[in-house]
Amino acid sequence: MTFSRRTTRIAAIAGAAAFALIATGCSSSSTPASTGSSTDPITLTVSTFGTMGYDDLYKQYEADHPNITIKATNIDTGDNAKTDWQTKEAAGSGLPDVQAVEEGWLSAVMQVSDQFNDLSKYGANDIKDRWVDWKLKQATDKNGRIIGYGSDIGPEGLCYNKTDFAAAGLPTDRDAVATLFGGSSATWDDYFKVGAQYKAATGKAFYDQSGFLWNAMVNQQKEGYYKADGTLNVDGNADLKALWTKLSAATSSGLSANQTAWDWGKGKAFTDGTFSTFVCPGWMLGVVKGQVTSAGGDASTGWDFANVFPGGAANWGGSFLTVPTQSKHPQEAADLAAFLTDAKSQAAAFGVAGTFPSVTAAQTDPAVTGTNALSTFFNNAPIGQILADRAKGVVAQFKGPDDSVIQSQVFGPSIQEIDSGKADGATAWNDAITLLNQLVVNK
Amino acid sequence: MTATLTTPPQTTDDAPSPKPKQKVPLKHRLNRFDVKASPYLYIAPFFVLFGLVGLFPLGYTFVVSLNKWNLLTGPAGFVGLDNYVAELTDPFFWNSLFNTISIFLLSAIPQLVIAVVIAAVLDQNIRAKTFWRMSVLIPYVVTPVAVTLIFSSAFDEKYGLINNLLTAFHLDPVMWKTETFPSHIAIATMVNWRWTGYNALILLAAMQAVPRDIYESAALDGAGPIRRFFSMTLPSIRPTMIFVIITATVGGLQIFTEPKLFNPTTATPGGPQRQYQTTVLYLWDLAFNRQNFGKASAVAWLLFLIIVLFGVLNFLISRRIASGEARASKRSTARRLARINEQRNSIPVAASEPAETVAAPRAQPDDSPTQEHRS
Repeated sequence: MTFSRRTTRIAAIAGAAAFALIATGCSSSSTPASTGSSTDPITLTVSTFGTMGYDDLYKQYEADHPNITIKATNIDTGDNAKTDWQTKEAAGSGLPDVQAVEEGWLSAVMQVSDQFNDLSKYGANDIKDRWVDWKLKQATDKNGRIIGYGSDIGPEGLCYNKTDFAAAGLPTDRDAVATLFGGSSATWDDYFKVGAQYKAATGKAFYDQSGFLWNAMVNQQKEGYYKADGTLNVDGNADLKALWTKLSAATSSGLSANQTAWDWGKGKAFTDGTFSTFVCPGWMLGVVKGQVTSAGGDASTGWDFANVFPGGAANWGGSFLTVPTQSKHPQEAADLAAFLTDAKSQAAAFGVAGTFPSVTAAQTDPAVTGTNALSTFFNNAPIGQILADRAKGVVAQFKGPDDSVIQSQVFGPSIQEIDSGKADGATAWNDAITLLNQLVVNK
Repeated sequence: MTATLTTPPQTTDDAPSPKPKQKVPLKHRLNRFDVKASPYLYIAPFFVLFGLVGLFPLGYTFVVSLNKWNLLTGPAGFVGLDNYVAELTDPFFWNSLFNTISIFLLSAIPQLVIAVVIAAVLDQNIRAKTFWRMSVLIPYVVTPVAVTLIFSSAFDEKYGLINNLLTAFHLDPVMWKTETFPSHIAIATMVNWRWTGYNALILLAAMQAVPRDIYESAALDGAGPIRRFFSMTLPSIRPTMIFVIITATVGGLQIFTEPKLFNPTTATPGGPQRQYQTTVLYLWDLAFNRQNFGKASAVAWLLFLIIVLFGVLNFLISRRIASGEARASKRSTARRLARINEQRNSIPVAASEPAETVAAPRAQPDDSPTQEHRS
């Protein structure tokens, strides 16, 4: 019931905005393109999303470079940032000098990697030893151009609720919990076995919903929805099918709380014992804290972070800073991106936002390994050290152009089916294959 | 230009042409040009803007819809009407259309009925008129995002206010976000909450314009408030009703914000199984999640055609109702006149004078049979 009657006003606003854009576009094009002389005053625009913890770093950079003004825009979620980037990319104008890109939509970015500056022309080769090697590999396109500087990565550990574990008669000490799940050789079978034990003792669900587990399972495979050569790898993939069967069996036995991901009853499910384990990449620790806090809980709610993950090392998410070719000041933008991703900056950002650095030097920085507000919340868990441990053995998986569509639209409905008990594992898998054919194969 | 066109016939006889040209001096010609061309110039800005922001996108969308076109990598070959054919055979397109129409009906009908009732109440001589009028508009002032946030948490399946109330009364919780019909009701509720007051105010404005003396004379004739409402108010605001119905149709078929934000965290926009994925949401999903700009444009055009169809249909129906009522009232007036004439004729002239004056007041309370007859 919305558009028609608002159209006029929206048109007026859009018109005004368009003129404003044209005006700013004109003004920015009329400023002389920098030719290496770093004394001209320059405005760099930066577009980020979520919490990246850069605000203080911008101020510091401006102080160190008096000729540079940073105009930063932060978009609430990665998905909205993707839409924003796609629209501006498709329109061919409006992109900032430094664009943050999430791993989840990196494959879409790679489709048009020629629209991004090759950072090796702007000094990437001098600093490329900074990052864990797979992070750099992810940001390198098939022509060998480096189009992004890695910021954070998402090694996954296991969040668990001490209070709930105690109620179920399970160990609560984080080292004992890690052992309980199988330590360094933890498997999904171990995880579901403990889950069954927990369920038997308390009658409650073990994990919030199956989607994140499935995501982790797929991410820790050598090859995910796509083979490394870019062909689809879902239909007839025995490994994925076996994992799906395992997951759906556990879900059907009542281990899933069938929560709405990213909503969790506005965080309430984190505080009322609805579930007791949660898959946690580094950046998720901040999310958990935020959810618990918004539902009125605090550190005493009992969440802790264990150095273990079923099925081995897994990575979920992480971002890159890119310099679109639309940028008028690629050199300065690349310099800023390099600064924001250097070891000191990443360590500082971790302290603010919990984003685990992809720069190896930063991973051992005291600011990361020491205590901070986030670690206090997780029962003084050494989150930096645990995440550094969890980052070992992570392999960069090839993500195809429709990876996010397969994750959300092909398996999303099936996961909802098994979570809500509408279908058993086999039916849900077949439904997923039907959707795959409809949405990806015959698109 | 017109001057030179009209002059040649006169000048063909006489060889020298400058003479007639002198007859129409530059000033006059400019004057005439001014008279002819200025109006076009005055209205030009609208058409230029319309062409720019209305017609051009429409045409461009059509061009895109004829191509295989990735949002990011651009056009990849002309495919003719293939995108349309593909969409017309895509179950998701029909699913979105079904959802759209279902939500539209669930919102438009109650909304307009309630809006008319509210407007009629506000049209009465009540205390603190401005207060009531302002308060029905408040929902419209609230941004739809805020509305959706509030409603989506009220309709939450596990922790929502409504399901909590239901379970408090030992009723089964309703799956507002994962089942088709409940989710349509939930979304229609948001739409109704937001737009009913707006429509009520528009209808109220129309009702205020109905001359009060008509009501007075109707009241004197013995028409009760309900009779006055149906026989006078409704027919008098018919053009406004048509406007409201058509804008509600166009808006209802383009619904996007409410279903998009109803469960914003769901992996598939419009519910896990696309239970409330409306056509615009489907279009958005095609373009921005699946990057299929060509098909998305085809859907946009199909939606455009469907809206035009609905608009025309609504217009025809509402006009038919309008003329139908006019016919009916004409017929009943004619019948009544005929009856009066009959009475007059049947009664002997000499004896009629006193009898009629006695009969007339009695006839008024007995008016109800005719009302029944008419309805």
